[in-house]
Amino acid sequence: MTSGITRYEKAAVAAVAVMLVAGGFIFFYAPTDALQGPVQRIFYLHVSSAIAAYGCFAAVLLGSIVYLWKENLAADRLARAAALVGLVFTTVTLVMGMIWAKPIWGAFWTWDARLTSTLVLWIIYAGYLMVRRLADPGRQAARFAAVIGIFGFIDVPVVHFSVTWWQTHHPGPVVINNALPLEMLVSFLVTMACTLFLAAVLVAIRYRIEVLTDQAAEKTVPAPIVAPSEAGGAR
Amino acid sequence: MRTISIALAVARKDLTSEWRTRELVPALAQFVVLALVIANFGFQFDSHNAPAIAPGVLWMALVFAGLVAFGRAFAAEREQASLEAMLLTPAAPAAIFAGKALAAGLMLVICEAVLLPALALFFGAPLSFDVISAVLLATVGMAVLGCLFAAMVARVRARELLLPLLTLPLWIPFIVVGGQAVQSAMSGSGGGTGQATSLLIDLDILFVVLTSLAARFVLDD
Repeated sequence: MTSGITRYEKAAVAAVAVMLVAGGFIFFYAPTDALQGPVQRIFYLHVSSAIAAYGCFAAVLLGSIVYLWKENLAADRLARAAALVGLVFTTVTLVMGMIWAKPIWGAFWTWDARLTSTLVLWIIYAGYLMVRRLADPGRQAARFAAVIGIFGFIDVPVVHFSVTWWQTHHPGPVVINNALPLEMLVSFLVTMACTLFLAAVLVAIRYRIEVLTDQAAEKTVPAPIVAPSEAGGAR
Repeated sequence: MRTISIALAVARKDLTSEWRTRELVPALAQFVVLALVIANFGFQFDSHNAPAIAPGVLWMALVFAGLVAFGRAFAAEREQASLEAMLLTPAAPAAIFAGKALAAGLMLVICEAVLLPALALFFGAPLSFDVISAVLLATVGMAVLGCLFAAMVARVRARELLLPLLTLPLWIPFIVVGGQAVQSAMSGSGGGTGQATSLLIDLDILFVVLTSLAARFVLDD
């Protein structure tokens, strides 16, 4: 604190730097796709942010289970922080995918199994954050949200396996099938590592905000209620 | 054994109170018929497109009737603060929850008994065993999920707003699978209904188990 720069600020700067490195790999190292042209470069960030979102929602699941089991406040804060960051990464995934789909498929959106299930995922965690806002703060909000955090995670494997379970327009898994040339694979792995780092930093910062919010809420002691007879000069 | 008798007692209480007031079920029946009327105007029905659109109308009407039904499931308990009294008894929260879900599900089944014949009558959609079994199987899962979230939002501000937001995304699996089953049963192709039925049973088991585990955290304060 005395140095003026907190470790959260250092981490944020590092995350920005690391994402610029990823951008360098995406735009200068990875070759242009022969079929799709430059728009294929969206793939690196699109898939990475989807994986980061899965990771965040897994953290929500973990935090929710631990909270319901042990009533552990730290677990609840982790779930709260990760849900918001996961929602942001799901938004990035959806928007990037739509920008890619317009030139390749000719439309921003198709009601494809993977697109639809990802949209449902977004809606579920948006509902999670809504419950947090609308339920009585404290134990009730935490419990209700934890139940949604557990039920909502059911959709994550659905999104992931949707390309295998249903016939979809969405490209199938290319990374684990060794369908990428080496430069593309390296760029993808670098981008994924950088995006996961960014997600971890965002969750850590959000977690800190949740801690401070909880502390502030504890400190606001309600004003003492004084009976009118006492206040207005007894005797 | 004890759990089952408690659940049945709670369900009987809800159904008796519904029988005495006759509030929800007539309103729901009217609601689904109105939904068919609106669908008629929205889709410009004729004898050619009716078989293709009827399954969609069926699920739309059912989903929104379900939201109304489950939204009311805890309304009386909230107004009388009787849920707290029930929770003070030694009965397990999961048993109380099962009873509430059973009663609300049965009311939705009664409403389906109006919706399906009306659909057959107005839109010429053939009713078969496959259609009815798909709708009933989907109702089981929709009832437990709907009741869980209804219990949750009963204690939250802006509950009418929140219930559809939470419930609809988790009902989607039932609408996807049930929709497929009804579509293929109504178009007469028949193929795929067996697979859809077993998938619906799997989903029912998954959500009945999950909701009965979660009921304690939602009901207990």
